[in-house]
Amino acid sequence: MSRKILALFMILALFAAAALADGEGVYTYNSAQTEFPTNWSPHQNQTQIDSDLMVQLGNGFYDFDYNEDEDGYKVIPQVAADFPVDVTADYVGDAWGIAEGEEARAWRIPLRGNLAWEDGTPITAGDFVTSAKLLLNPTAQNHRADMLYSGNLVIKNAEAYLKQGLASDTALGTIMEAESLSVEDLLAKYGSEPGCINWGNSFGDTYDFDAKAWTGEAEDAVVTTPLTLSDLYAFYTTGEGRAYATWASDEQMTEWALEELFTPYMQFAGAMDFDQVGILAPDDTSLVLILAKPLSGFYLYYSLTDYWLVNETLYHACESETDGVYNNTYGTSKETSISFGPYRLSEFQSDKTYLLEKNPNWYGWSDPANEGWYQTDAIRVDCVAEVSTRMEMFMSGLLDVVGLDKDHIGDYATSEYTYYDEGDSVFAMVFNPEHSALKTAQEQAGAHINKTILTLKDFRMAMSLGLNRQEFCLASSPTNEPAFALYGGQIVADPEQGLFYRTTDVAKQVVVDFWGLSDEIGEGKLYADADEAIDSLSGYNLEMARQYFDAAYDEAIAQGLMGEDDVVEIMIGTPNETSAFYNSGYDFIVNNYTEAVKGTKLEGKLTFKRDATLGNGFGTALRNNQVDMLFGVGWTGSTFDPYGLIEAYVEDDYRYDPAWNPDETMLTCTLDGEEYTANVRTWQHAITNETVTAKKADGTDAELNVSANAEQRILVLSQLENVILQNYDFIPLMGDSSAKLKGMQVEYHTEDEVFPLSRGGIKYMTYNYDDAEWNAFVASQGGVLNYK
Amino acid sequence: MLKYIAKRVALMLVVFLIIISMCFVLIKLLPNKPAEQFGKDKQLIEMRREALGYNKPLLTQYLIFLRRSLAGGDWGISESLYLGQDVWSKFMEKMPATVAVNAYTMLFSVPLGLLLGIYAALRKNHWQDHFISTAVVIFVSVPSYVYAFLVQYILCYRLRLFPFQVQSGTDFFSRQMFISMVPAILSLGFGTVAGLTRYTRAELTEVLTSDYLLLARAKGLTRAQTTVRHALRNAMVPIFPMILGEFVGIMSGSLIIEQIFGIPGVGQLYVASITAATPDYNFFMLLSAFYTLIGLLSGIIVDVSYGFIDPRIRIGSKK
Repeated sequence: MSRKILALFMILALFAAAALADGEGVYTYNSAQTEFPTNWSPHQNQTQIDSDLMVQLGNGFYDFDYNEDEDGYKVIPQVAADFPVDVTADYVGDAWGIAEGEEARAWRIPLRGNLAWEDGTPITAGDFVTSAKLLLNPTAQNHRADMLYSGNLVIKNAEAYLKQGLASDTALGTIMEAESLSVEDLLAKYGSEPGCINWGNSFGDTYDFDAKAWTGEAEDAVVTTPLTLSDLYAFYTTGEGRAYATWASDEQMTEWALEELFTPYMQFAGAMDFDQVGILAPDDTSLVLILAKPLSGFYLYYSLTDYWLVNETLYHACESETDGVYNNTYGTSKETSISFGPYRLSEFQSDKTYLLEKNPNWYGWSDPANEGWYQTDAIRVDCVAEVSTRMEMFMSGLLDVVGLDKDHIGDYATSEYTYYDEGDSVFAMVFNPEHSALKTAQEQAGAHINKTILTLKDFRMAMSLGLNRQEFCLASSPTNEPAFALYGGQIVADPEQGLFYRTTDVAKQVVVDFWGLSDEIGEGKLYADADEAIDSLSGYNLEMARQYFDAAYDEAIAQGLMGEDDVVEIMIGTPNETSAFYNSGYDFIVNNYTEAVKGTKLEGKLTFKRDATLGNGFGTALRNNQVDMLFGVGWTGSTFDPYGLIEAYVEDDYRYDPAWNPDETMLTCTLDGEEYTANVRTWQHAITNETVTAKKADGTDAELNVSANAEQRILVLSQLENVILQNYDFIPLMGDSSAKLKGMQVEYHTEDEVFPLSRGGIKYMTYNYDDAEWNAFVASQGGVLNYK
Repeated sequence: MLKYIAKRVALMLVVFLIIISMCFVLIKLLPNKPAEQFGKDKQLIEMRREALGYNKPLLTQYLIFLRRSLAGGDWGISESLYLGQDVWSKFMEKMPATVAVNAYTMLFSVPLGLLLGIYAALRKNHWQDHFISTAVVIFVSVPSYVYAFLVQYILCYRLRLFPFQVQSGTDFFSRQMFISMVPAILSLGFGTVAGLTRYTRAELTEVLTSDYLLLARAKGLTRAQTTVRHALRNAMVPIFPMILGEFVGIMSGSLIIEQIFGIPGVGQLYVASITAATPDYNFFMLLSAFYTLIGLLSGIIVDVSYGFIDPRIRIGSKK
């Protein structure tokens, strides 16, 4: 009898296996990418495509989920069992630099008790500490090591451990700040060290100390001079350097010397033990993070949505060292990958395909919050480079999603299967209007070539108003929409409340002010409110642009910037000459402005050239005046931290326009009915948790910390956005939206995009057909599906 | 002959060293900056670049390259394309797919090209010759990616005879893998077939009208005997090196065809190593060295092969 039952069971099992082999009861999500992941190690991953794979193989301590109404997000514990507990009081003392009464400096994260690798090996809090040590390994210089110290989350001594013994070229001002030294003390202590300078940034010219002459060329890199630091300081502030910089005052030269002169300097201790780094594991399910600066609430959880956990045994097996250079191949193949996330990598062929299958040892399967979700059994991702192939595969039912490009968006723009996703970035057209550099460039370009007209704001305003953004998007990237401000619609101003910046009144006011619509809003006027005015924007006003072109020309002639026989030649830089976006965009810009200046005094006098060799160095090329203009550039990320992101538009290291001086540009903000005035850099610091000094209307100084007040913080942010826009050196062009077709096999959880969950992702995706039913359905449709 | 080969090999090594040195200098002259990322620790990136030797003088870097790569065979790790992975291993991992597709293409296109060329030559000025010659002109003129898209659209999408992409895995001798490669083989092969047909027809037509063939026929040999034993053998003297060259070229890969049919081969590596936003020095140098060597070696092999095909040719002989 038992043999019969066994035989029957085996037959049933065979049938079941055969059925599963045909895809019955199996749900596979199929997609294709143009590029493929190459390194998904938590310590080394580089691209979004790497991250897309990484997030299936592991989870952060915290994650985003839908709120109760499914119209916004909330933060939930993921690898953590609960939200962190403030244990600052337990770590008071010199060891961690925490004073009595401080808060939010040490957090205990309770971990789930059932964390495990895909092979069943348990994961404990100690593994997170070991992984942090591997991440911060000074000899490895892991690309992602700064996740533990660069940003809101600054683990005590993490950077010092990573950079122990490192001497690097450090600006004098940084050394003075680190050691609380005066200039005299600094020179007394370090004056005999080698003096270093970045000639490109400082003078745009190089002084040859042997020949005692300026060479006319400058490299954008910190180089060592034959002088000691003291001698170089004297050269810069009182010697040949001072004499050369006729554009600067003595005070400015003294001030700039602290930023532009360098010397090799060891910022951190020569040796440090990992015990001094603020990551501790008091027990197997508790991880303590000790921070160098307080952090709490949303930004603490958000900083812990990424993960750094690696499998120690496998990690060490992937290590190698050649000639003292450390290398690690963890997370570069199936053999070097191990999962603790919902899926495990069961197949990977480089640049071809990978397959993720459910990880039976994932802690989340026993979590009631996941019950009923994760219908997807497997995720198949193929590398399909050609868009036409992807479209044909999609129409044949082989893919469940396909991105729409400019050749296909027209056919499917109104399809019920088309979904539009708004990105978090604004891409812009940027100029470097620095006069002396433009003058040098125009002299090198030849006789009767003019570039210095770019210094005139009227000209840059004309360039802004004269660009048909809608047509630009259609020509270069039709899934994108024109942009009219520095920040796009997905930027969150108050993450605790889920408040989007662009929905605030002050942010709307920035847009209507920038586009000159303020006087048109109100009862009996053109627009009833700011929303209506913003909805009407196109950013294109050819008539006004032509007026500005004429005004700029007259002013350029009057100021002697250009002669009547001169032709304006703008060098546009692009990263390469293979990108369809940059090629179409460049052609559009040339044609657009050639038409725009018709009937103006610049007709036939506005020309463009292109340098398509810039690669990653396009920002530097603009700052160094190798090119005069870029387009389609901007900063991505920082969706939840627009206050930090403003640094990208203000700080010298990131700002595209070196001619604009945020230290000299004054800004007045009205807070609680009182006017406060400070320079732009001060206000930038004010919204990033710093206490700053501003002048009140009566001339007295006042200390401000606007970060504590969400409303004031948003107001100052909007004022900063306004100042930056008014420069007309970073002109909003388009947002980075995209469009895709969803296959009939799958359903998204929400029809509307809910940032940052999109439409629910893999977790919430449901299926209309299992794989077998889907194949039968596609066959019944003649093998080609109709999505129009 | 041996002396001649030794001399050619010695010269080849000199040329190889010169080319590789030029490649090294030129790639190092390209701008190589990491992408600007807001919030990233630039000092950390600079630490890694320092460790990798980016900041060493060019001559020092060159000497390290000579010692470690050319003399030691260690081509280093990828610094951008496949971050952290050994470039030689990666190259060898991708090479079989390229070789398989190109080898199948050769196996199909060489015999077909020869047969069509012979047939066209034998049917010279008949409609068959005109038809073949017209087809040859079309296939020689149209770039292979055009056939590739057409083949994919008609055979894979409309008729559903073949999969869109080459099957994953490395079992290049399986039936399923071969079937999945057919569209790529056809797309790659059309051009080779057309070129070989044209060349064979031209050579054979010339030989077939020679006096000695008339004499052979007059002696009583059949048309088939004269064609195979005499005409074809003589015509093969210039054709065979061409075929040999095609076989050597099977390792070079095709950027477009590999891209269209999802062949995980080496076709895209060379271009990607230069056009990547941060050029991948080690990949570029390995690929430059490899293809330079293949090119130079194939030149020697082709030259030497003349002597074997036609014993009247004595390369290197002073007499």
